[in-house]
Amino acid sequence: MSSTTKASRIGEELWKTRVDKVNAELVTLTYGTIVAQLCQDYDGNYPEVNKQLEKMGYNIGMRLIEDFLAKSNVGRCANFRETADMIAKVGFRIFLNIAPTVTNWTSDNNQFSLVFDENPLADFVELPDDGRAQDELWFSNILCGVLRGALEMVQMQVEAHFVSDVLRGDDTTEMRVSLIRYIEDEMPPEEE
Amino acid sequence: MSYYFTILSPTDVPLFNIAFGTSKSGGDGIARFRFPDTAQYMNQFIIHSSLDIVEEAQWMNGNMYLKHIDTYPPASAYISAFLTPSGARFLLLHQPPQLPNTGSATGAGGGGGSSGSILGGSFSASALGSSRASASSIAANPTSPQTEEAVRQFMTEVYENYVKTVMSPFYRQGMEIRSAVFRSRVTAAGRKWL
Amino acid sequence: MAQPPPRHATVLSLSNSNSNSNLSNASTAIDRPHSSQTHMPTPSTSSTGLRVPSNRKTIYDRHLNRSRNAELSRASFAFLFAEMVTYAQRRVTGIQDLERRLNEQGYPLGLRLLDLLFYRTVSGSTSSSLSSSSSTSASPPNRPLRILPLLHLIHGPLWRLLFNRPADALEHSVSPETPNEYMITDNDPLVNTYISVPKEMSMLNCAAFVAGMIEGVCDGCGFEAKVTAHNQPTEMWPSRTIFLLRFGESVMEREKVLERAGVK
Repeated sequence: MSSTTKASRIGEELWKTRVDKVNAELVTLTYGTIVAQLCQDYDGNYPEVNKQLEKMGYNIGMRLIEDFLAKSNVGRCANFRETADMIAKVGFRIFLNIAPTVTNWTSDNNQFSLVFDENPLADFVELPDDGRAQDELWFSNILCGVLRGALEMVQMQVEAHFVSDVLRGDDTTEMRVSLIRYIEDEMPPEEE
Repeated sequence: MSYYFTILSPTDVPLFNIAFGTSKSGGDGIARFRFPDTAQYMNQFIIHSSLDIVEEAQWMNGNMYLKHIDTYPPASAYISAFLTPSGARFLLLHQPPQLPNTGSATGAGGGGGSSGSILGGSFSASALGSSRASASSIAANPTSPQTEEAVRQFMTEVYENYVKTVMSPFYRQGMEIRSAVFRSRVTAAGRKWL
Repeated sequence: MAQPPPRHATVLSLSNSNSNSNLSNASTAIDRPHSSQTHMPTPSTSSTGLRVPSNRKTIYDRHLNRSRNAELSRASFAFLFAEMVTYAQRRVTGIQDLERRLNEQGYPLGLRLLDLLFYRTVSGSTSSSLSSSSSTSASPPNRPLRILPLLHLIHGPLWRLLFNRPADALEHSVSPETPNEYMITDNDPLVNTYISVPKEMSMLNCAAFVAGMIEGVCDGCGFEAKVTAHNQPTEMWPSRTIFLLRFGESVMEREKVLERAGVK
């Protein structure tokens, strides 16, 4: 059984049995409210909004990893490829009930893409028709921060950014994730 | 039949306007108002002057669709209203083609086929006495139950698209609806029901 | 080894930061000058046009009921909501200001939910999740014209849409001084489940966000109201919250007129 298949099964099982749930639309609408508020507060300065979303995500990621480890009870990943499957098939399944496709690996196995067929954060969303939002705003940028924050807590420094988004008129929604380095000189987070 | 459809915010700011003609009975979907030069202005004037009636009816009747609520005889204009629960008003002005036997003798027979079945054959040209293209369609009688039903269907379909518009987190109450897709959906609803 | 969900202590220290946070997010677009009435409906000039994917899918192609019964993780909501509160708190001057800001963020959501609720009712699906199971009121086919049906709409269908259950109580003020006051109780508001409020801010209730939604629903329906959230803990329900709805003068007057006219 491939690591991907295995991760998918774990993710689905956890989603069914271990995840407390709420109405999806409440989550979707709350996130939309956050982004719209930022766009208003930063007066349409979308690059700054992207940055703020990433920061929020980072804060979330640092706390979310605890929840993830507690629920999934998975061990340390052997390599970055396994990590990618764990993120896509277990992490995203637990928190957003989706499982993006892992693809476009670089030959050094340090970079991959997550391709999202669905994205509950973006349901109902149409970007502002101001001639700029579709070029500048990454609506779901919070997810990049979540990955960075969560992985940092398990000794991986990564960089993540969106390269396309159907909200911008692209055919796919794709996030690029790069491993910068393993953080070795720090203690692992405390075990519960 | 010519139509002018508008969406007004709860504070009567126009959010969306469109003019179109009937597509039933061989109609080509193009609006032909009686006074084309002033139609845009007149239509808005007529619609706005019906707002008092809308506001009164609004509190007597909890339906979203208030049906035909006002008539403006000088222009033979009929107004139908639909209220969203969040206070937006959908108003449709319909103006039947002019009665004198001017033109458009085409299409009365052939085009009526599709709508005729819905309306029943009794609303034939003879019943209404003229050779208007729309004689057998809803266009002939703006206050008939058939027309009310067709307008209701139209309004409901527009409402669905309206809800999709307002669900976007970037839409704020009172914002003009500029989406070309929305416009095309309203046009399609008009073609389908009116 | 089911673990309790983590409590995400939002650090709520109020600094005197940016006090001119936006006062009127709900009304910015409303005050458009009437001159726009002359706007000519020509698509070419009225839209700069958004790009769409090659499959041409837009929000208009997505069925509004698609996510109707969908679920997401409760933790995800908690994380997002905590970030929302933390962010709001950075831009306010005090507890009241923070609650006002949360209220303002909920307000437009109330308007949206109202339209979504009615769409789902008119679109005719057997709305089992919308109609009140308590047989007091069927699913609302009509816009509420009186206060009571409006309150039932909030207590039942709105609560069910948001939290998958009705609110716990609905009461009218017993004081003759305040006939315009109504209370909706939630014994255990989801939005407070994960927020630990520090002692010095014990007055704060983050359900102000939900209060804003309620206010949006009331205003949308034409019932001008102020809605606030208040902590009313009991031993059994430590985060029990009362939503206090105060209807405006004009609403109360209309209520009398409609009463006389026999409108229900």
